[in-house]
Amino acid sequence: MLTCIKGGRVIDPANGRDAVADVWMRDGRIVEAPPGDARADEIHDATGNMVMAGAIDIHSHIASDNVNRARLLLPELHRASPPNPAAAPLSNAPSSTFETGCRYASMGFTTVVEPAVAPDAALHAHLELADVPIIDKAILAVLGNDDFLLDSLRKDETPSLIADYVAWTLEASRALGIKVINAGGAAAFKANAREFSLDDVVPFYGVSSRQIVKALQRAVDELGVPHPLHVHCNNLGLPGNAETALATIAAAEGLPLHLAHLQFYGYGKEGPRGFSSAAARVAEAVNAADNLSIDVGQVMFGQTVTISSDVLRQFNARTQASPRKWLIFEADANGGGIVPYDYRPGNFHNAVQWAVGLELFLLITDPARVFFTTDHPNGAPFTTYPDILALLMNRDLRAEWMAKLPPEALEVTTLRSIKREYSLTEIATMTRAAPAKLLGLADRGHLGPGAVADVAVYSQASDRAAMFRAAALVFKDGELVVRDGKVTRYRWGRALWVRPERDPGIDRRMKDYYGDRYGLTPDFMQVPDGAIQRPDPFELVPCHS
Amino acid sequence: MADAWIDGSPVALRAAAIEAAKLLKASRLPVVAGLGTDVDGARAAIGLAAQIGGVIDHMHSQALLRDLDVAREAGMMVTTPNEAALRADTLLMVGPGLETAWPDLNARLIKRPPAPEVADRFRRRIFRLGPGTKTRERYAQEAVIGRAAKDLPAALAALRAILAGRPCRKLRDATAIDRLAAELRAARFGVAIWSAAELDGVAIEMLCGLVNDLNRTTRFSGLPLTPGDHAAGVLEVCGWMTGFPMRTGFCRGFPEHDPWRFQASRLVESGEADCALWISAYRAAAPDWDGNLPIIALTGADAKFRRRPPRVHIAVGRPGLDHDAVERFAPTGTLARTQAKHASQAISVAQAIGQIALALASDRGLSC
Repeated sequence: MLTCIKGGRVIDPANGRDAVADVWMRDGRIVEAPPGDARADEIHDATGNMVMAGAIDIHSHIASDNVNRARLLLPELHRASPPNPAAAPLSNAPSSTFETGCRYASMGFTTVVEPAVAPDAALHAHLELADVPIIDKAILAVLGNDDFLLDSLRKDETPSLIADYVAWTLEASRALGIKVINAGGAAAFKANAREFSLDDVVPFYGVSSRQIVKALQRAVDELGVPHPLHVHCNNLGLPGNAETALATIAAAEGLPLHLAHLQFYGYGKEGPRGFSSAAARVAEAVNAADNLSIDVGQVMFGQTVTISSDVLRQFNARTQASPRKWLIFEADANGGGIVPYDYRPGNFHNAVQWAVGLELFLLITDPARVFFTTDHPNGAPFTTYPDILALLMNRDLRAEWMAKLPPEALEVTTLRSIKREYSLTEIATMTRAAPAKLLGLADRGHLGPGAVADVAVYSQASDRAAMFRAAALVFKDGELVVRDGKVTRYRWGRALWVRPERDPGIDRRMKDYYGDRYGLTPDFMQVPDGAIQRPDPFELVPCHS
Repeated sequence: MADAWIDGSPVALRAAAIEAAKLLKASRLPVVAGLGTDVDGARAAIGLAAQIGGVIDHMHSQALLRDLDVAREAGMMVTTPNEAALRADTLLMVGPGLETAWPDLNARLIKRPPAPEVADRFRRRIFRLGPGTKTRERYAQEAVIGRAAKDLPAALAALRAILAGRPCRKLRDATAIDRLAAELRAARFGVAIWSAAELDGVAIEMLCGLVNDLNRTTRFSGLPLTPGDHAAGVLEVCGWMTGFPMRTGFCRGFPEHDPWRFQASRLVESGEADCALWISAYRAAAPDWDGNLPIIALTGADAKFRRRPPRVHIAVGRPGLDHDAVERFAPTGTLARTQAKHASQAISVAQAIGQIALALASDRGLSC
């Protein structure tokens, strides 16, 4: 079927385009305008509207065993929402998989990455993702606190053995990339450490956090996995932790590295409360290191729940739980912690956090290296995205928000002095072109011929939040799925994954390891197609050769 | 051998599915209960309940919710059997029924040697706080403080008070409790093990509070052993599909969770429910409640029902035995694929529900 989106303003920075044009789709792909008088089977008038590729979220905790623990821990947050069967019954906390897919699609998102899946819980995550409708998705597998890796580093195994193990993990768990979360911190916590920094050493294993990050970074790079190692640094949330971020940036030594939710590492120790923004310094370091990409993890005010595999941090944070309950889970490798939290606009620390996120967005100059996230739901639920986009695009709106916050909090930030406003092209770069490139998805994030026909059409409105909250039209694989922000068609997406080459000898090695250590075969780590019970549940993404 | 019956008489599967659809369509409040099934069966059952405005409950919700209630009212630290086997220098076994709750407990945890890097640093010590048990001799290093289950909260409270340096009433075996408190404090990585089927909520909350307190100075975690019939796996599916645990109803067109209101046995006995879909694929178990409502049963062929055969009975296979399944894997507490040990022709719960859903969707089918 030939479909035409007619007469919209096409904003497609990947192809250097910002002009009124028609977008043609056939069989799920974008195609060239057909020659002569070819007629479209379906025409959608987009006159006066904006046409962009479907948006891509590189870091959002939407589906995993830890996400599910959060759902079960907080039934009252579900009740807080109005009982409207036509909409999601949960707007401000992790929601059911079905609502997740619908809400993302209604904002024009078509691909979302769940960034923290323990390899032994990969099947669980993929089963949840299979019940997330409409959008495509992917997981990042978490390594860096796992016994096998730490044991291998202790024994000084070769980089190629580490690379084979990373490849084995990616294949078994069907992941698109590797994330490391407070490298070594969860393992150190098991030995009763209560803080853990980049050069601290994991007891028993005798390896430092830095060594773990470097080993994984090198393995991911050498395997040709498109997405660089995705790093959640040590010392999340602590005053003065900008030093940790800067040290980690320096440790990258020019090789590709992605730093996740950098807002949570943008803190100094200045000011009357010993807590201040160090975003300007951190942004400067990011600007100077073009091997580096970051996502922000913007904080927005309201009730949410923090879900993290940084079990040490979550253990320490449990005393701040609001409401007062929490769940700490320890397994091989990271485990996780669930701590509900209420970001309040009158709270000094929360106001600084909000400002730090915006400073990073606005002070990092290249929109292709700063990614749009709230670390859903840790900084805020993803449903706040439209409001954040509006804040980035309008300094008067920021001033209105700042007027409601404690002035002493803003004084320890630079936000008031920042005049920059994002353009629509920059927004499209940050949410479409750049994430596709970062994840190695050549046929996404743009509207050139051959691209997957994931398209979002927004009506032109001065209220940017309203505009981005409810897309006028959304197409997934060329099929109309959303009209005026309402889902019109349910369909099932695919999970994207990579399978780098590896020495088959690692299979034997893993079998022996699980046998010796646990008396098990590693079969339980596998994610077979047949277990998912959806047609074509996976799509392989090529690695660099 | 027949695989479907109406009122005890063998029928074709399709006829049984059509009759089941008829009953569900006519019902004002159907309950989908038992829920002893694998992940696919749970996905199908919950999807069906949402479609027909029914209620979902599991036969072991009571025990399951006892643990969950402590987490969602207070807080909880937990770990996995694998991690406990690898790292724990101290095991505290609390209350009766542990080996019943998890028959592999001995092989997978108690008797598994710790990881080599910690093995030379400790000798695993095992303590039991609970009623005397015949298994006592099995653990050479075990110390036992005999307690009836009903006295456990007091013993746990005493332990917690002693560890927190608070005054507490002298119990009859105060010396043993004192000694146990000192042993727990000396643990480097301790794990408390319990089965919610055997403890009340107060005891579990006190134990979880004790574990939390121990973490002020050392490392300790909990290992709740989950009830049978795949209750914990079904809980996961329920969580991601609805946002809630079991005892959730779709009566108003959206999921609502209420442990009292949506308890299947209460709904049946009060007469509020007027049709039940009963699922028990792991055992040919019949419901333990009575009621005059029509029952559609998806169980093993040899289930014994109390008063009369169910209105519709479809025989289903056992997950992981008759067919491949995704189930909770106890050593890691995560979901994993199990391959059929003796693949058979028996249909799965998901397939049986698929047949019923097909009949529900087809008007022609309903007119038969």
